[in-house]
Amino acid sequence: MKVVGDVQEAPAKKARAKLAAELPWSVVVHNDPVNLMSYVTLIFRKVFGFPREKAERHMLEVHQKGRSIVWSGGREQAEFYVQQLHSHLLLATIERGD
Amino acid sequence: MEFYETTEGRLGLRDIPPVLADLLRQIPHSGDRDSDEVEERFFPHPSHDPEEEGLRDDWRAHVEPELHDAFQSARSVVEADLRGMKDGDDAFALEFSKGHAEAWLSALNQARLALVTEHRFTEKQLSGARPSQIRNERDLALLQLTLYEYIQHWLVEVLEP
Repeated sequence: MKVVGDVQEAPAKKARAKLAAELPWSVVVHNDPVNLMSYVTLIFRKVFGFPREKAERHMLEVHQKGRSIVWSGGREQAEFYVQQLHSHLLLATIERGD
Repeated sequence: MEFYETTEGRLGLRDIPPVLADLLRQIPHSGDRDSDEVEERFFPHPSHDPEEEGLRDDWRAHVEPELHDAFQSARSVVEADLRGMKDGDDAFALEFSKGHAEAWLSALNQARLALVTEHRFTEKQLSGARPSQIRNERDLALLQLTLYEYIQHWLVEVLEP
């Protein structure tokens, strides 16, 4: 999903938007006490195509540390992944990458 | 109560005691709650960054209605399956297509999240011992959560790639 209107944007604003879109973005999954560990693992495998070990590693990180960065890359793809995770009722956000 | 999978791609529960059959029938309704807190949990913000107000507005306008429809659709699938529950002498039986397993997982998750949010159960209460007697709605909600969690575990196993 892209947040761009029809109005002609100022060049500086456009440049900032372009830069923001190009920055690495992270998809972060946050812990909640309700979603089952096995369910979270299944959703990571389904949404990101992770092998079982990687999905379990991220699931455990969410469980033990409260959050895990599960994917990094372009802004639009990050938003798509967050939407997918929300559709499975996981708590997920996008963040600017380091 | 026993879970099973048929060679024809159907999933089933048999020997369901009447009290658990009643709790199963509540799955679609448990997840369909008109409460701000439940709404907030079902439709979380996509970003915690205060500079991302535009994204949050966009999410509210475009993504949330899609999610709302998807959640409603899953509950409808489960509601229709539950209408096919068969009444035996002293137990019930239910069978549904394996293709509905994802809808069941979603509806069960919705129900569990709504129950936990509404009754404000803490993580400690959720992982602690269950009450030995059902004395009030809160105890009943814990029983619902236990049953729904049990079914979710089974469905996850069924859907494992």
